[in-house]
Amino acid sequence: MRLLIVEDDGAIRTFLKRGLEEAGFQVDAAANGLSAEALVVEGIYDALVVDLGLPDIDGLEFIARIRAQGSTAPVLILSARRSVDDRVRGLEQGGDDYLTKPFALAEVVARLRNLLRRSSAQPESTRIRVGDLELDLIRREARRGDRLLQLTVQEFALLEYLCRNEGRVVTRTLILDHVWRMRIDPATNVVDVHIYRLRSKVDTEGVPPLIHTIRGIGYVLKPV
Amino acid sequence: MSLSLYSRARSTAAWRISVWTTVAFSLCSAVAFVIMYLLVARNVQARSDAWLTGEADVLSEVVANTPRDSLDTKVVQEVAELASHEVVEVQRPGDQPRQSVFFLLTRPGRDPIFVGPPEQELFMSAISSVSPKPGVPASVFVREHMVPFRVVWNDAPGGSRLYLGFSDTAGALMMHRLVTHFLLIWCAMALLGFVISAAGAFRTLQRVERISATVDGISTQDLGRRLPETTADDEVSRLSRTFNRMLDRIQRSVNQIRSVTDSVAHDLKSPVTSIRGSLEVALLHGDSEDWRERVADAVEKLDRLSQTLNTALDLAEADAGALPLKLEALDLGALVENLSDLFQPSFTERQHHLDCRIQPGMFIDGDSSLLSRTIANLLDNEVAHLPPGCKISVTVRQSDQSAEIILEDDGPGFPEEIRARAFERFVKGEHSSGHGLGLAFVHAIVQAHGGCVTISDSSTGGTQIRIKLPSAKVSA
Repeated sequence: MRLLIVEDDGAIRTFLKRGLEEAGFQVDAAANGLSAEALVVEGIYDALVVDLGLPDIDGLEFIARIRAQGSTAPVLILSARRSVDDRVRGLEQGGDDYLTKPFALAEVVARLRNLLRRSSAQPESTRIRVGDLELDLIRREARRGDRLLQLTVQEFALLEYLCRNEGRVVTRTLILDHVWRMRIDPATNVVDVHIYRLRSKVDTEGVPPLIHTIRGIGYVLKPV
Repeated sequence: MSLSLYSRARSTAAWRISVWTTVAFSLCSAVAFVIMYLLVARNVQARSDAWLTGEADVLSEVVANTPRDSLDTKVVQEVAELASHEVVEVQRPGDQPRQSVFFLLTRPGRDPIFVGPPEQELFMSAISSVSPKPGVPASVFVREHMVPFRVVWNDAPGGSRLYLGFSDTAGALMMHRLVTHFLLIWCAMALLGFVISAAGAFRTLQRVERISATVDGISTQDLGRRLPETTADDEVSRLSRTFNRMLDRIQRSVNQIRSVTDSVAHDLKSPVTSIRGSLEVALLHGDSEDWRERVADAVEKLDRLSQTLNTALDLAEADAGALPLKLEALDLGALVENLSDLFQPSFTERQHHLDCRIQPGMFIDGDSSLLSRTIANLLDNEVAHLPPGCKISVTVRQSDQSAEIILEDDGPGFPEEIRARAFERFVKGEHSSGHGLGLAFVHAIVQAHGGCVTISDSSTGGTQIRIKLPSAKVSA
């Protein structure tokens, strides 16, 4: 998967490039809209990360231009503005996504993967298996080995989300967004409590743990 | 110097107002004068005409009754001269004395009788243009006479014809004087009118000028200055008051911004210090486990920090009316229930009991993202501040035309000293670890939705927070 980062701030550009490369993407970077436009025309990118405050042309105008030139690559918009304006929300409905600064790298990765999945619609499977954990998405049942886990609806949705992102770190914000469909940022540890309860059912004593805490970032579900 | 003063004056609104007022005033008075002049002139002529016809009748009678003999010429001449002396001669000083009445009697086969000014031939030729009807006076211009003669004629026995003419020099002089006096008075009035209206306009507009100078002199450092207000209720006073009210508002928001910036700066200092400390310790001690721990700690603190900043910015935008609300028909009950589900484990963990009483179908027009954050803020507060083992209830119900959310607990209640200012920024309880923006945010968002939020004691001794939001226009 090849990405293009369009961001004028050198520090952010560098850390994004490094972080996304570590996440397994091939990454190019451009510091302004016009040079990025020249690169996009070649049609080699699967997705773009675009900062709205570019020095030469407005980020939204840049997107409009590459769309006019036939590029269909999904765009993840980065915005320094807090209240996301309606035009950006409109883009979100058109298949693109946005993040406001400051953001966690894990979130950039997760949203990009989400965009790429959307753009290459994979067939939905009915079962997910991670190690000895198995989720039946039709019957909404989870088993660890032979043991049927007694999960609430919410706990199952949370586990499903973690399983779908197996091996990838997900932040609390991402969990709230995808499991509860809320873009909120609680001051208390509500998500941690949910994870704690889920973990007490999934990772019982004597079995190797699947759910891991990455301090400062979030959680990851991966087999040992 | 005077030229530049003149051109400066010409560019003022006061000048334009005075000029237009004067022009309008002069035109109206001129029209009034012309009408008056015409009326007087007609009246004067009517009077002289009345004398003329009467006198002509008398003379006709004399002519008719005088037997034709050698003396008749003499008799008629005498009578005519007597009649002409009835008119008082009025002349302008310096003018040649002129007779203003003439009498002419044409007699077929005999010499005409003429009484009047010496230029008899001029009169003889002028009477050819008299009115075609007898007894009706008409104006006749006679050379060398400024004022036209009114001439009337009657037929007399024996084919003779009698002409009597009268030049009303007194009336003409009066009309002439009327015009000159009017012109003088008219000029004086126009000048006086211009001066008065200019003075008035300049005085009024000078007040406007003073306002603009004062407003111009108000800088952001000096927002306390105000325009002098008078008790008068004219436009200029209203302008001053409007400006002062505007300045009040600007000063209020500038002060608010200042206090917020101060508080933000203050609130940023401690986390920044602690983050810096964590990272510094990590740098000094190369132990990798400790290092990881401290960096993670710094990231978590930074997250808290950006949360504070975001809320502060949202609040600032909400206050400026710039927070874009994405309104949609929203099932308030479903939203609250979803959030309660999210928070339920946190409450359970602290041995709280959360009770939800939600009336279904409560629709409002709201921004789901902002309202979610609002309610999450309140639930966060309950989680963070209640001692273990409390009862909390969330109610969503219809109340008049509003949807009502009531959040109640049986905790220790809201600290009395901050209750009144609970919805202001950076007001927080003594032991609170929050940023003090939570309730201010709640207040701002609820207001932006056209609702209201109140805080009071609950029936169980704890705190009750009540939010009212207007119901959706058309309930779905």
